[in-house]
Amino acid sequence: MKLQTKINIRFLTVTFLIFSVAGVLFYFALDKVINQNIREMLESRKAYIILNLQQNPPTTDLLESPDHSSFIKRTEKTEEYTIFSDTMAYDQEEKELIPFRKMTFSVHSGGQHYEVILLQSLLESEDLQMIIFSFMAALFGIVLLALFFLNRWLSNKAWNPFFKSLSVLKTWKIGENQTVSFDRTGISEFDQLNSTLENMIQKIQTDFVNLKEFTENASHEIQTPLAIIKSKLEMVLQDKTLNDQQYQRIRAAFESANRLSKLNEALLLLSKIENQQFVETSEIDVSQLIQSRLEYMEELFALKQIELNIHLEKQVTFTMNPLLADILINNLLSNALRHNIEKGKIIISSENQEITISNTGKQAEMDVSRLFRRFSKQATSSDSNGLGLAIVHEICNNYHLLLSYCYLNGMHCLSIRQKSQISTNL
Amino acid sequence: MKILVIEDEATLCETIVAYLEEEGYRCEKAGTVELGSEKVNLYEYDCMLVDIGLPDGSGLSLIKELKKRHPETGIIIISAKNSMDDKISGLDFGADDYLTKPFYLPELNSRIKSLLRRLKFEGKQELVIDKISIWPEHRQILINAEPLQLTRKEFDLLMFFVSNRGRVLTKESIAEHLWGDFADSADSFDFVYSHIKNLRRKLLERTGTDYFQNVYGTGYTFTA
Repeated sequence: MKLQTKINIRFLTVTFLIFSVAGVLFYFALDKVINQNIREMLESRKAYIILNLQQNPPTTDLLESPDHSSFIKRTEKTEEYTIFSDTMAYDQEEKELIPFRKMTFSVHSGGQHYEVILLQSLLESEDLQMIIFSFMAALFGIVLLALFFLNRWLSNKAWNPFFKSLSVLKTWKIGENQTVSFDRTGISEFDQLNSTLENMIQKIQTDFVNLKEFTENASHEIQTPLAIIKSKLEMVLQDKTLNDQQYQRIRAAFESANRLSKLNEALLLLSKIENQQFVETSEIDVSQLIQSRLEYMEELFALKQIELNIHLEKQVTFTMNPLLADILINNLLSNALRHNIEKGKIIISSENQEITISNTGKQAEMDVSRLFRRFSKQATSSDSNGLGLAIVHEICNNYHLLLSYCYLNGMHCLSIRQKSQISTNL
Repeated sequence: MKILVIEDEATLCETIVAYLEEEGYRCEKAGTVELGSEKVNLYEYDCMLVDIGLPDGSGLSLIKELKKRHPETGIIIISAKNSMDDKISGLDFGADDYLTKPFYLPELNSRIKSLLRRLKFEGKQELVIDKISIWPEHRQILINAEPLQLTRKEFDLLMFFVSNRGRVLTKESIAEHLWGDFADSADSFDFVYSHIKNLRRKLLERTGTDYFQNVYGTGYTFTA
């Protein structure tokens, strides 16, 4: 839920509650005032009639005022009373039954008892109540609406710097060498937030660069001593006086040095790709590149009796660094060969700017989330360093190529295609 | 044959020199562009091995300098892996070959021999090893004046062994010589074994001599 909506809902709920309570209270207050008023009116009429009765005693048993609002009749009752009640009566002018307040009381005058009934129309006060009420309701609606829009406008204005900062942050990507700067907002909370963010991003960026540089430098520095170890061991292996056991030990050291060297090379390559040190690009005809690589590897496939199915009639071109293109294809083909089974199968096809390499394998379907991760190697081949596909993945990322994996009919398929322009960010 | 080795890493430089001296070459060392330039200007060499990344500059300038003074000298670049630019500009400046570090010493030796053969004899040299005579330029082998049919890989393998006669060649270095980048892809050692088995059989049938020796778990030696 948007912050604004949340604030608005709370705000409107509270306003609504206040207005409802106020409305009810107002109703009762109004009712009381009107009742009081009518009572006072009746009381004053009562005083007038009593005065009148004392001065001019009526001559008939029943006396009715011309507007049918007061009746005076003689009675035998002697007790004194005053009763208020509501009644309906037919009104000549309005031609309908309208509510009346009725006051019945006794008067003792000139040795005679009278009962007096006074009627007071409630129609006007009801009308008044109605008018006041609809006015209140309208006012309530208008105020509510006004508050709603005012609130929206205000929060839009107030949160604007926040959304600006947010959009800046959204476009920021770690590793891409761009400086992030926020405009000054003039609002101290947002300025504080922005400067904190700026500092944080700066720190993250330097840390990231340092780490990358460290990885690359470390790998680079390890190269030379490794080369020395390898060549020295090679020299020792030339020694004819060594016995079998000594050979075996040196051999093991040599093998490990070799593996370490290959691993280190791969790591160095990865960090170089990450650091975008392969600047130069050109149009690479991938289908042709695969063809030429296949010729080179022909024999390796033949020795493992692997059936090759090549469908590279359609040309596929990617814009990328030639060396990385080489490595990309090498790794994909090596991968298809290394994890294959004896008398297995490899299908390579090109279609719609997409290259697909499928191979049979020892394993069943692999976990895609782990497949492209570094060192997530399958235990079966110890000669694999677990970096081949990580390098492929990194190269693809670098050139906005989409690398996807699927397991179909018992074959592992890896495909690479140009990412569509619309969905460039992953 | 005189070889100039320009490599700033002293230990690596010494190892290269030691290996090449055992092959009968006379070697000189230089660790900087300045020293290398001095030697290039003073003496004449048959071959120069040069590292591109040197402490006081790029080895590329030395290649230019050498090509100006002694265009007939062979040049092999030994440089860190994956620097395509170095490779291209190096070959543009007149280098003959390019080897990426870390490399196997027999590979370097084989490249130097092949380069020197091309430069000195324009490849028209007959290599005679015991009963085998090899014409590298035509990729042809004669045994008792009769040609021996070898596959391309078998011929490469034989040349590699002949260039490094008497040396223990590890399975790794053989695989890399034959398949380059693909050497560590899949069971290449099995393929090395099967190639050597075939080559060994072919030579044994025709010459009656077994030139290959297994070195326990490590590799093979070619002795003649």
